[in-house]
Amino acid sequence: MSKVVSFCCTLLLLCSSLLQADEAGWALFERVQQSVKQYNFDSSFVVFKGSQVETFRWQHGRKGDKEIEHLVPLDAEGVDILRRDGVVYYFLTDRPALVTYSNTIKELPAILFQNSQQIRQLYTAVPGSSMVMSGHTAQLLRLSATDPGRHSYWLWIEAESGFPLRIDVMSEQQAPLERWLVTHMRISAEFPDNLQRLLDSELPEPAPRAAGARLPDTQLQLTWLPAGYQLVDTPYVAPQLQQNLLSYWLLTDGLHQVSVFVQPSQRMPTQAYRDGATTIYMLSAAQHDITVIGPVSIDVAERLAGAVR
Amino acid sequence: MSSEKQDWLSAASDNRHISDTELDQLLRQPELQQKLERYQLAAAIFRQEKTAPLPENFSADIAALLQDEPTYQLSQSRSLLQKVAAGLHYAANGSWLKPAAQGAVAASVALFAVLGVQQYQQPLEQELLLPSPVLQTNPIGGFATPVSLSSTTADSRFVEQEQQAMQEQQRRLQALLHAHRQQVRTMEQDKATTGQENEQ
Repeated sequence: MSKVVSFCCTLLLLCSSLLQADEAGWALFERVQQSVKQYNFDSSFVVFKGSQVETFRWQHGRKGDKEIEHLVPLDAEGVDILRRDGVVYYFLTDRPALVTYSNTIKELPAILFQNSQQIRQLYTAVPGSSMVMSGHTAQLLRLSATDPGRHSYWLWIEAESGFPLRIDVMSEQQAPLERWLVTHMRISAEFPDNLQRLLDSELPEPAPRAAGARLPDTQLQLTWLPAGYQLVDTPYVAPQLQQNLLSYWLLTDGLHQVSVFVQPSQRMPTQAYRDGATTIYMLSAAQHDITVIGPVSIDVAERLAGAVR
Repeated sequence: MSSEKQDWLSAASDNRHISDTELDQLLRQPELQQKLERYQLAAAIFRQEKTAPLPENFSADIAALLQDEPTYQLSQSRSLLQKVAAGLHYAANGSWLKPAAQGAVAASVALFAVLGVQQYQQPLEQELLLPSPVLQTNPIGGFATPVSLSSTTADSRFVEQEQQAMQEQQRRLQALLHAHRQQVRTMEQDKATTGQENEQ
């Protein structure tokens, strides 16, 4: 009897300490999300995807209830991405601007901006050890996916400000697939002058999207969804895909998006690629090719492609 | 006197020590300075130095040239502020979505789309982060040759056709990756538009 009681006590203690660690982790995560939304900052970061490196400059400012951020890919000339509150602008030299409604710039890590309650349903948060990174004390926070097939995130957070210094997207095997690394960061109390001018500038209004492609009527169905994912109702299909597309589904778990394309068969072997954390899996079937694109494991992509019937 | 002058000037041209009196003399007399300059030039040529000493009036010449130089406006001609000020008051979202084949898709925009798929031929050893990548921008076979193809036995023409087909396949996947990225960028637009319509 006493053994059972001591076992139960140990179990309770273990659960309670795990819960405490999880809550401490989520508190730290909330701090990270707050830091990138509340501070005026000027930073640079690099994204490593295998042998590829992309460099960006990222500025953010908040003035009362007005928020603005400016992202510039430094490896590409003539591209400026700007967000003013809920509108995102993609400015390009010699081309019309793309203007969309969104509260986030999609080229920034979505984990920093998506609803933390939604993220809590997909991950456990465990704080790790501290280390010195570029002269700052950085605290590690592991967001481990509760379902296999979903990538995990390891975040290194600046101890004083809560600003993210590094984010690794990890595979199930705990191998880094993509690394986001801050190389320079300056937080200031003053709202930057250039952002003020951009805040005051007159910018184009979002235009309605061109009519999406009409896909042919088929009997094809997607018979399985990965855990936590839902189908997006009537996703927009870009007109240029009309000729080659038989069916299309868009899935989301609130944080990630996965596309499933069905095209006429090209009689090519089944192939799989990875672009950082994004898997591109093409299953060649007798009647059609199915391509799955999204931040999922190869197993999930394979199963999704096989679920098109 | 002339010979003496030449001696210490010659020594000075070889970077040897000169006395304070000689230095004062050199600083006072422009003809001595010109002579030293000529000696230095000759010495540099004898030593086969690639860089000849700067002429005495080098800084004055540069200053004069700078004075004549027009003023350039280094105000970041490509800054976003200037683009906005230049009148980007349109948003043709439909045409923005046109594929590469139909128009000049800026390489910069394609940046987000044309990432891994074209890089499949890079050897695995070049990977920075992953010592043993599973699929890091490489096909399952590790390189771009189809799994079913045996390059040692197949006819070279057949190989060429297969490679062309593979390239075509790469382009197709690239277009799909671009479409996926675009979908992610704009997926909230419909929701926002619907919300606004409902409010009205």
